Amino acid sequence: MSVLEAVSTQSIAGESLTGEAYRDAMHRWLHANLPASFRSDSAAFAPPTLPQSVAWEAAMYRAGLTGITWPRAYGGHGRSLREHLVANQEIGRLAMPESVNSIGKELAGPIILAVGTEEQKRRFLPAILEMRNIWCQGFSEPEAGSDLAGLRTRATRDGDGWRINGQKIWTSGAYRAQRCLVLARTGPLEDRHRGLAMFAVPLDAKGVRVRTIKSIDGRESFCEVFFDEVEIAQADAIGAPDEGWAAAIRVLEIERATNRMYRAWRFENELRHLISACKADIALSAMVEDRHYAVRLGEVAVEIEVLKAHVETAVEALASGDKIGARGSLAKLYWSESHQRFAALAIELLSQASLPQNPAIKVARRRFEAIYLAARAETIYAGTTEIQLGIIADRILQLSRGK
Amino acid sequence: MSMAEGLQPDEFAATAARAVTACAGLGVREQAQNLAGDGLLGIIADEEVGGLALPLGFAVPVIAAAHSGLLGFPLLETILVGRLLQSSLTRLAAAIVSGEKLATIAWQGEAISERDGGLLLLNGSLARAPGAASVDHILVRMSGGAAALIPADAKGVVVEDAAGLDLTVPEHVVRLEKVEVPIGSILPAGTWDLLSSDANVLRAAAILGSAEACLALAQEHASTRRQFGHALSYNQAIRHALARQKLGLESIRHAITRSLSRDGGPVQRDAAFLAAVTYGSSISEGALQIHGGMGFTWDVPVHRHLRRIRTLQAQGDASGLISTFGRRYVSEVAPFAEAGA
Repeated sequence: MSVLEAVSTQSIAGESLTGEAYRDAMHRWLHANLPASFRSDSAAFAPPTLPQSVAWEAAMYRAGLTGITWPRAYGGHGRSLREHLVANQEIGRLAMPESVNSIGKELAGPIILAVGTEEQKRRFLPAILEMRNIWCQGFSEPEAGSDLAGLRTRATRDGDGWRINGQKIWTSGAYRAQRCLVLARTGPLEDRHRGLAMFAVPLDAKGVRVRTIKSIDGRESFCEVFFDEVEIAQADAIGAPDEGWAAAIRVLEIERATNRMYRAWRFENELRHLISACKADIALSAMVEDRHYAVRLGEVAVEIEVLKAHVETAVEALASGDKIGARGSLAKLYWSESHQRFAALAIELLSQASLPQNPAIKVARRRFEAIYLAARAETIYAGTTEIQLGIIADRILQLSRGK
Repeated sequence: MSMAEGLQPDEFAATAARAVTACAGLGVREQAQNLAGDGLLGIIADEEVGGLALPLGFAVPVIAAAHSGLLGFPLLETILVGRLLQSSLTRLAAAIVSGEKLATIAWQGEAISERDGGLLLLNGSLARAPGAASVDHILVRMSGGAAALIPADAKGVVVEDAAGLDLTVPEHVVRLEKVEVPIGSILPAGTWDLLSSDANVLRAAAILGSAEACLALAQEHASTRRQFGHALSYNQAIRHALARQKLGLESIRHAITRSLSRDGGPVQRDAAFLAAVTYGSSISEGALQIHGGMGFTWDVPVHRHLRRIRTLQAQGDASGLISTFGRRYVSEVAPFAEAGA
């Protein structure tokens, strides 16, 4: 924890800053406080431990860098979506670790804000921002991956509460989470999307078992979660049984367009890191000046500009009161595929470095090999590429399926 | 004082679409009169020369509508030349904005100048001049990024038909042999770069218009054409192909919007054009594929759009630009150093 001892407890959120002054304050706080060992573009990089991540994200929250748009009544900073974008641009510009509680901040929190009770908002939301509660997402099941309407985990009435039985899979981070946002069926399987309900299941409840799954990056953050006669209080049911899912879908549409809003700026940070590493290497410095790789790096840079355009357009639309609808699928499809192309180019370039490898190349290889592997999941999670294409065809183009 | 107050660029889209429809079947000079009558030729030119003095963003929906409707007139060039000349050749700018005189731009090549006493003589072979056979003036690039406006009927100017894909506004080659140019017709160094930057935004708009038309045609065909007992759009392969085209289309649209925003600069303008070329080509070729054999016929207009997009790609030298874009990006990043990582 010593690495975080110097982190400022100053709050920027409370200051009446606007415009560029707000951006400057965010920029200065991040640069002054992010430990070098958290930066994956640093030779000092050592992935933060869970307690370090929790402490860092809690500090970010206190500074005003998370919970930006959430109402003050529930611990948020009550700022605008445009300010959320500004803060995320600054977050993206640093090679910072991903949140260990993005499900809490970007999925469970917004859903609770939309459909939760007043008591749930006061109980859950500050705990998410203060990092007292880490959440995971219990949607996918062995027989219901992309087809969520086919899920079989069952919630049955049990006195005043509920009893949950079933199994979830691909539950990222369940091993470290305190709560799981579980989607369960209250009616028959034939009801498909009807009769689905959401629950905030405490993962220390009797009957919950978490098993980790080793993924292609060698990490064990993927999990299976088993629910065996798990008793859930009514107070932990999120939204009405038949209405919660529809409301959640509306929230998810917005989240798909706005979550991890820093991505384009992070990709830019990655691109600049890649080029800087190449320029520190004799062979690669010549290669990136050469037309072939200059063109390919230029194509990545163009895609990053287009991604920024997608994000900023979505923010402006939402800030102007427009509905985002299915358009979030456009941004998701775009960033996931373009990041995969970029990551593949990065490892292709770095594999041609001179020998012996200089420290810059070692740092870059460590970062980009991890990015390359992680990026393979980006066209799978949060709705696969095929699901996004289907949504665009069905709901944006409204293509006929008729015979 | 700008007329932009209270106006929105999209309001010009409908006007432009109507004007384009009204131009169908007319000669180039009649088209110029029609377009000028709707204020479209001077949309970004100063009021002193009869323009509307609106920002470049107002030309975007106009150009998009012109290309969507396959307007057979060098509108992009006319709009840019009218504004370019407004300070130095005011009377000519007014004539271009009013549709009285026609102008175009030779996008490829550079004229070489020589002094002959007090005269400036231009020589050289230039190309990619849309509609040059029908215009009164041609803007050509000179060394150092300067530009010169040449009367098309001046002695020593030869305009020839050129091989080219675009059927709607065919390109021409312009040969210059000791063409006398008044010093007042020379526009200073730096002119060409500014012109190209604006042109890239408008080319992206042109491609957006064509790509929108192609996707609409493909979507219509996929919904009405039946094979194997279903509409084509019943098939996932077709649905996903169209969804990808839609992603490309919205990417072009958003990139243009960003290039004209407060954060927009030369990088964003180049990116908008480069993205438009990539996605526009893919959309038009994809639309042709979805039409099957019908797409390969002369009568289905997809090929006309495809031809225009590929022509715009060449007029903006997309291949050279992406290389420059990448090299510029690389040059701006310092070699890795721990403190500056």
